[in-house]
Amino acid sequence: MTAAGIQTYTFHVNGMHCKACVLLSENELAEHAKVVSAKSSLRTRSVEIRGDFGDRPPEDIAEELSAFLSEHSLSTAVHKRQVDWDEFGVAVPIAISCAALFVLLQEMGIVNLVSGDTVTYSTAFLVGVVASLSTCMAIVGGLVLSISATFARLGDRTKPAVLFHLGRIASFLVLGGVIGLVGSAFRLNSTGTFFLSLGVALFMLALGINLLDVFRWSSFLQPSMPRFVSKRALGATNLTHAFTPALVGGATFFLPCGFTQAMQFYAVSTGSLVAGALTMFFFALGTLPALALLSFTSLAVRTRTKQGAFFKTAGLLVILFAVFNVANSLAAIGVIEPVFNW
Amino acid sequence: MSSRATSALLFVIAAVIVSVVGVILLARGGTKPGDTARANVSNVGESQVIEISAKGGYSPRETAAKAGTPTILKIKTSGTFDCSSALTIPKLGYQTNLPPSGETVVDVPPQKAGSTLTGLCSMGMYSFTIRFE
Repeated sequence: MTAAGIQTYTFHVNGMHCKACVLLSENELAEHAKVVSAKSSLRTRSVEIRGDFGDRPPEDIAEELSAFLSEHSLSTAVHKRQVDWDEFGVAVPIAISCAALFVLLQEMGIVNLVSGDTVTYSTAFLVGVVASLSTCMAIVGGLVLSISATFARLGDRTKPAVLFHLGRIASFLVLGGVIGLVGSAFRLNSTGTFFLSLGVALFMLALGINLLDVFRWSSFLQPSMPRFVSKRALGATNLTHAFTPALVGGATFFLPCGFTQAMQFYAVSTGSLVAGALTMFFFALGTLPALALLSFTSLAVRTRTKQGAFFKTAGLLVILFAVFNVANSLAAIGVIEPVFNW
Repeated sequence: MSSRATSALLFVIAAVIVSVVGVILLARGGTKPGDTARANVSNVGESQVIEISAKGGYSPRETAAKAGTPTILKIKTSGTFDCSSALTIPKLGYQTNLPPSGETVVDVPPQKAGSTLTGLCSMGMYSFTIRFE
């Protein structure tokens, strides 16, 4: 066997979507006995490997090294990243259908299912169910979809979603008790609400565009830790990976969803820690089915081929929701006339 | 099935869904309570009183009222726990959480002829307008 010495190979890395992937892939590849060094690039989505593999053809090397990667796979073709326009052929009609069904749901006035003069815990639960099917879905649901789809793309599937929901329900329970006890809620004025919903919409827009995988630059729209921090704290990254979804879930308590506000107003009026906590808890529980459905759709899509279409569909829906929210926020602050009136 | 065929089929299904939804929306369009002229406007002395009910949206959605008259807005709620209880009237800088059941009074200064006043729920999904003539 001729000793070819150390050679440099460049492979295309499939599934590289964020800065953490760069670090992870480099570390994992470096563990191979024959690899001297590995340098990944997010920009070109490729990795440069220096090692002594003798005469073996690149395809073999790629396959062997792929086994070392937990989240990605290698291929020999270093091609410019192609946009899978075919996947849009599936994503666009599905997104349009979902949007049409959403509109229908609103028009049907599902809100009128809730009646009665007093708020019992089952009323709170029912209001939660209705809320999650209403415009609130565009705010909270859109956020849930954008985050869970993004995490799913990074390979992290169940945990972030579960943590998000736990964080949300826990926060509603605790903060519900707080506002019940304190007797006043954190009420933002119109301007505050406007900027908050605008911020959320922009955040969703960024994640949605990134999910489409059309623009090269969009991978940088994904919020992540700067490299010098993650290099030192790869272990801690996983920790924050765990905390962030729970925190975001908890923060949804403050999102400008009219139903949440109505329930919070009632919780405040009870003046009681227990009543406030339980009211908000059951409300959040009511919103859980619809939100859970959204966040776990990413689990249903197993095969690699279908995944691409799913993320594009999610991306389109998230963008539609973001635009919808911006339009509603502008109307609520009086800048434009209300566009939607169910 | 080739991806082209799948895609074509999905577009057809989407077109069907959109058409069905469109038809349903158009059919319901005729039953909106927007044409109840001055049914919710009454006069009390020098002022006019406009009644709006808030539950799963605001009704009536459109009201015609007199310009240049001090106006009192009475918002009625009955078992209202949805977004309509988070009322905001941007023009007046007015914002409140309506009680689940009851009547809330809003004082509106005389408005110019040809102007409109819009009230919305905090998310902007429900609204009502009052045209002052």
